[in-house]
Amino acid sequence: MRVRMFWVLVFSFVAFSILTIRTGYIQLWNGAELTKKAEELWGRSIPAEPERGLIVDRNGEVLAGNKHAPTVYVIPSQIDDPEQTAKTLAAVLGEKESLLYERMTKRSSIERLSSKGRHLSTDKAREVAELQLKGIWLGEDSVRNYVWKERLAHIIGFTGADNQGLAGIEAYYDQKLSGKAGSIQMFTDAKGNEMPGLVNDYNEPVNGMDLQLTIDADIQAVMERELDLAQKTYKPDAAMSIAMDPNTGEILAMSSRPSYDPSRFQEYDPDIYNRNLPVWNTFEPGSTFKIITLAAALEENKVDLDKDHFFDPGYVEVNGTRLRCWKREGHGHQSFLEVVQNSCNPGFVELGTRLGEKTLFSYIRKFGFGEKTGIDLYGEGTGILFTEQSAGPVEAATAAFGQGVAVTPIQQVAAVSAAVNGGILYKPYVAKSWTNPVSGIKETIHKPDQVRRVISEETSAQIRRALESVVAKGTGRNAFVDGYRIGGKTGTAQKAKDGGYLENNHIVSFIGMAPANDPKVVIYTAIDNPKGTVQFGGTVAAPIVGKMMEDILPLLNVSKQSNQIEKEKTWSDPELIVVPDLVGLTKDQLKEQLVNVNIVVEGNGSTVVSQSPKSGVKIEAGSKLRVLLK
Amino acid sequence: MLEGSGFAVSAHGIDKVFLLLVLLLTGTGLFMVASAGEVWGQFNYGNSFYFVERQALFAGVGLIAMSFFAKLPYLFWKQYASVGLAAAFLLLIAVLIPGIGMVRNGSQSWIGVGALSFQPSEWMKMALVFYLAAILSERKKVIHLFWKGLFTPLVTIGAAFGFIMLQPDLGTAAVMGGTAFLLLFSAGAPIRFFATIGALAISGLVLLIASAPYRIKRITAYLDPWSDPLGSGFQIIQSLYAVGPGGLFGHGYGESRQKYYYLPEPQTDFIFAIWTEETGFLGALWVIILFFLLIWRGIYIAMRLDDPFGTLLVFGLTGMLSLQSFINLGVVTGLIPVTGVTLPFLSYGGSSLTMTLLLAGIVLSTSRHMR
Repeated sequence: MRVRMFWVLVFSFVAFSILTIRTGYIQLWNGAELTKKAEELWGRSIPAEPERGLIVDRNGEVLAGNKHAPTVYVIPSQIDDPEQTAKTLAAVLGEKESLLYERMTKRSSIERLSSKGRHLSTDKAREVAELQLKGIWLGEDSVRNYVWKERLAHIIGFTGADNQGLAGIEAYYDQKLSGKAGSIQMFTDAKGNEMPGLVNDYNEPVNGMDLQLTIDADIQAVMERELDLAQKTYKPDAAMSIAMDPNTGEILAMSSRPSYDPSRFQEYDPDIYNRNLPVWNTFEPGSTFKIITLAAALEENKVDLDKDHFFDPGYVEVNGTRLRCWKREGHGHQSFLEVVQNSCNPGFVELGTRLGEKTLFSYIRKFGFGEKTGIDLYGEGTGILFTEQSAGPVEAATAAFGQGVAVTPIQQVAAVSAAVNGGILYKPYVAKSWTNPVSGIKETIHKPDQVRRVISEETSAQIRRALESVVAKGTGRNAFVDGYRIGGKTGTAQKAKDGGYLENNHIVSFIGMAPANDPKVVIYTAIDNPKGTVQFGGTVAAPIVGKMMEDILPLLNVSKQSNQIEKEKTWSDPELIVVPDLVGLTKDQLKEQLVNVNIVVEGNGSTVVSQSPKSGVKIEAGSKLRVLLK
Repeated sequence: MLEGSGFAVSAHGIDKVFLLLVLLLTGTGLFMVASAGEVWGQFNYGNSFYFVERQALFAGVGLIAMSFFAKLPYLFWKQYASVGLAAAFLLLIAVLIPGIGMVRNGSQSWIGVGALSFQPSEWMKMALVFYLAAILSERKKVIHLFWKGLFTPLVTIGAAFGFIMLQPDLGTAAVMGGTAFLLLFSAGAPIRFFATIGALAISGLVLLIASAPYRIKRITAYLDPWSDPLGSGFQIIQSLYAVGPGGLFGHGYGESRQKYYYLPEPQTDFIFAIWTEETGFLGALWVIILFFLLIWRGIYIAMRLDDPFGTLLVFGLTGMLSLQSFINLGVVTGLIPVTGVTLPFLSYGGSSLTMTLLLAGIVLSTSRHMR
């Protein structure tokens, strides 16, 4: 009997030792983890939302700020009379009483109100605070303040209901802009009353990093003004513009129409805010693309601009296909510099033929076409090029004057920048640096990123000279600004749809750079289907870029020079055009009449029977020329 | 039956060590109830001291009972063992009759009116110890035989166990059954018998779980309380949230957080959780060591008695205390599933404390006859 009792004693010693070890394990080993979990249980934390980082322009001007906008939190266990509380709060917030009642009676430690209870105005928040309702709390919160509204909308983008970046820079750099939420922690007993002996904790939220863009707000303002004006004048389907520093790839301004107000983005067609046209839109570039052909031909020593000459009869035949010049009767005898000035299609076909399809396409690719530029914005287009196999002589010939390839505006800006900056292709970017709002420490996001050298310094200098003469003496003369050496190239491209071209529907464009001796800015502007005008790049887009240059160059500290190529006086009355004889032409032939007048068609026939005014009369460019069809 | 050493006046009085341990535990208990019951006392009765005042009263009554039974010759319990057992069975049957028995916490285990209500199962626990000590001390020679030695005690244990499980009260049934087997073991029942019983118990346990689904829930909750934090795992989690943050020294006396309505009824079954939250691992050690010393001293007394009945009686009562305290501490620390057993001496409760002290009095009375 005693032996067995002794064993029971030994056994209970073992059992109580296990108990001791178990208690020690919970308290000394597991204690910290259990404490953490328990504090979650005791704590009612009212979130303190961080403010998003500011988005500022290159000079520190705020483009996207924040507005104080507290949010209502409900701690159900602290509410004694949910019915009355819901009623009172509903009246102030303008929210449904039943909805509030539901949240106040939910079995939950804390509830965050949405819609009407989220992001209150300062006045509303004060009203709520003055109610002094038990169990109703206001948590720190903020909403974005888009100072520039519709302007810059596509670059900045917008945030959603939870201040998360949804589009543009806001989405691309969301993580660092967001910051980290903090909280006010109250320790309460299981009935929601404050627990004695435990100090409330305030974990300060960490605000987001401030983001500095390469955008210059003043340059952007000029661009927005000009696009607004173009919008009003031409009522186009769309408009887009980019200004870039050709020596770094920094985007100085970028805009497009139609635009939207980021703080009310829900009210717009998603296509409007999802498509950032300057990087997304893919279309035939038209004549602006001739700069690439010119660069390739010069670099490969296939042409001497001054010594080589060319005769344009108004068309050229390649492999049995007749390719027309935009000027029906042809440009006649020209030097190749004049070919560039006149934007003569057969002249460029000649350059394309001299290069051969292989070489031409290798330059097109080297200039960055056919692949994304890699700009730090979402939704960039790739463009469409002929594949190496399908590119024959005809394809090379059309590509030489900008047809049969599809590119994005940003690709053109990057490529033309490379052509004029001394020959180096840069990767474009809009985000410059982060600034820690507390320490002020800066952190570079992008430095100028050279993709590759495409052409030599000498070739680049020749291109600058040629482009300056286009503005001084050629199709780009409407971009001429006295004292500023502007160079550039017009473009008029038919819009392709369902395998064919749309009628009387062009994207007219101009790409310019200045000053021509040392370009500080490249500006591209395209107007999609302008109304009430002849759809010519030289008529619509060139003057817009000219006006932008006039106001932007002083902002870049570029002073006027006296040694620019003089504007040709013979072109000083280009406003007057000799009316061509259209009688007897078919409807299709009529469409090929890319004369600088606005042809108004009347009647339903297929042949022109009469016109007004008659042929030979001089009229102002862009004025109406009525024709009657029968 | 009234002759023998059990009725002679002792030469050296009661065992002071056992008495000291009992007093320390009771004192610690009052200290614990004062803090653990503070919040609920204020909430339910508008008096923070409600529970400790009443517990002090129960302790006073219990101590008077203890000193009375410490003087009562222990053979009294042998003499009236059968009567006590019969009364216990009658009460156990009565409590099952609707209208007589009262349901609390899902078990029909209370009888009586208001403050005078008590649990017949508590009484059965003790009556069974008296009965087994008496019958096993008489059957020392035939204990290895099944029919002549073990059959009657087994039937009695089985019946008592069955009635308590009908309430159902798994905790009390487990303590009582465990105590009964400790007694059979010490009395010298053959090992093969325990092996058989063990096998039967396991299959019985499986049946019990199958018959009442809430038991399996309690067991799964015990394995992973966080699988159902608001349901079956609730008590264990709340208990661990008290014990764990206590650390080595605790938050300090009176500084418990879990007693603020998080841990249900912190002054009864889970009082040890609040105690360790406030006094830390050191406080836990204090209580565990006191209990172990009490067991050691109880077995020490039992082994130094010449009368087999006295030996078995003290051993049985000590075994009951040790089993009950082990189960309670195991539940609080998440070592075993929640069963609803109070912690002797420490948990708030009139019948629990007075019964425990009464039982200590019987041990003290027996201790007068130590060698």
